[in-house]
Amino acid sequence: MLKVLDSAVPIACWSCAVAHNESTLFCPHCSKIQPPPGADYYSVFSLEPRLTLDLGMLEHQFHKLSRKLHPDRFARATPEEKDWSLADTALLNDAYRTLRDPIRRTEYLLKLHGAEIGEEHSGKGRTDPSRVPADLLEEVFDLNMQLEEMRAAKKMGEEDPDLKQSLTEAKKKFDGLLDDVDNDLRTQWTAWDDGDASARSAAQKTMLALLDRRRYLDNLVRDVNETLGAN
Amino acid sequence: MAYSDKVVDHYNNPRNVGTLDKSSSEVGTGLVGAPECGDVMRLQIRVNPETQVIEEAKFKTFGCGSAIASSSLATEWIKGRTVDDAMAIKNTDIVKELSLPPVKIHCSVLAEDAIRAAIGDWKKKNGVAEAAPAATATAQ
Repeated sequence: MLKVLDSAVPIACWSCAVAHNESTLFCPHCSKIQPPPGADYYSVFSLEPRLTLDLGMLEHQFHKLSRKLHPDRFARATPEEKDWSLADTALLNDAYRTLRDPIRRTEYLLKLHGAEIGEEHSGKGRTDPSRVPADLLEEVFDLNMQLEEMRAAKKMGEEDPDLKQSLTEAKKKFDGLLDDVDNDLRTQWTAWDDGDASARSAAQKTMLALLDRRRYLDNLVRDVNETLGAN
Repeated sequence: MAYSDKVVDHYNNPRNVGTLDKSSSEVGTGLVGAPECGDVMRLQIRVNPETQVIEEAKFKTFGCGSAIASSSLATEWIKGRTVDDAMAIKNTDIVKELSLPPVKIHCSVLAEDAIRAAIGDWKKKNGVAEAAPAATATAQ
C-alpha cells in the first residue's frame, strides 16, 4: 500500500456528507468510521511526514485508534462499517509497524518520494556503482567463507573453537558497524526533514547508500547468528 | 516464481567453483557485490600471457540461485576465450540463456561486472592499457 502524499483531496463523508481534507479513519465532523483512506501511513496518524518522529505520540495515536476500531464497537453497525473497521485496522497495523521501525520508516518515506529501494526495482538498469559498498566486499566475502567452513564442520559433528571465536569477533564488529550506520542515518534524518530541496536530495542519496550498506551488514549478522546459534 | 531448468542445473551442479592463486601475475580477481540483495561474487581468471586466452576460470558466489547460476555460466563462457572476447559478453546474453525473470536481472549484471573486474585486475597487474581504443581494426 503505497500512495502519493496527497491529503488535500476533499472527500465527502458517506454519512454526514461533509467534505473533509484529511485522510482520516473517522469523519472529523460526525465521527463515523470511513473506508480505508488511500493516502500515506503518516496521515492515518495525523502526523507530518518526517523521518524524525515522536514515537510516544505515534504509540498514543495507535492505541487510541485501535480502541476506536475495536470490533465490539461495530457489533450493531452496518455491514459496510463492519468491513471498514476490519480494513482500517489492517491499515492501522501496517502503518504502525512501518513507522515505528526507524529503518522501515526511512525506506517508506524515501519510497514515497520516488526513491527506488529493494530487489523489485533493480532490474531496470545497471547498478549505480557508487551504491556498492566496496570497502565491505572483501570482509563480507571472507566472513561468508568462514561461515561456510563452520557449517561444514558442524555437519561433520566437529567444532573448531578458533573459527567460532573468529566468527564471534566478526559478529561484534559487524554489530558495531550496524550501529554506526544507524547513527549516520539519524544524522541524515534532520537534514532531510529540515533542509531545502538540494539538502534534501543530498541527504536522500546518502541515506540510500547507507541503507544498502545496512542490508549487507544485516544479512551477515543474521547468517552469523544462525550459524553460531544452531548449537 | 520458479527457476528455469538451466538455473536449477547450474545451482545443483555449479561449474568451476574454486579459487586461483590471487598473487600470481597470470591471475585476475574480480570481487563484486549487489547492494539490492547483499550477494557477493568472486570470479577469477588465469590468462595465458602469450596468447591472452583465459585458460582457467573459477568462481565462488554467496547468494541466490540465479546469482550462482549466472556466475557458473559466466566461467563456462569465458574459458577458452581471449580477454578481449570475454569482455564482449553481455549480461543480456546470460539473461537469455538462463531465462532469468526481471527481478533477477541484477544477478546477470553482477556476473558481467565480475568478468570485467577480473579482467581489469589482470590488465592492471600486467600493465595492459584499459579499453584499448580502436583495437586492431582488421578488415575482414
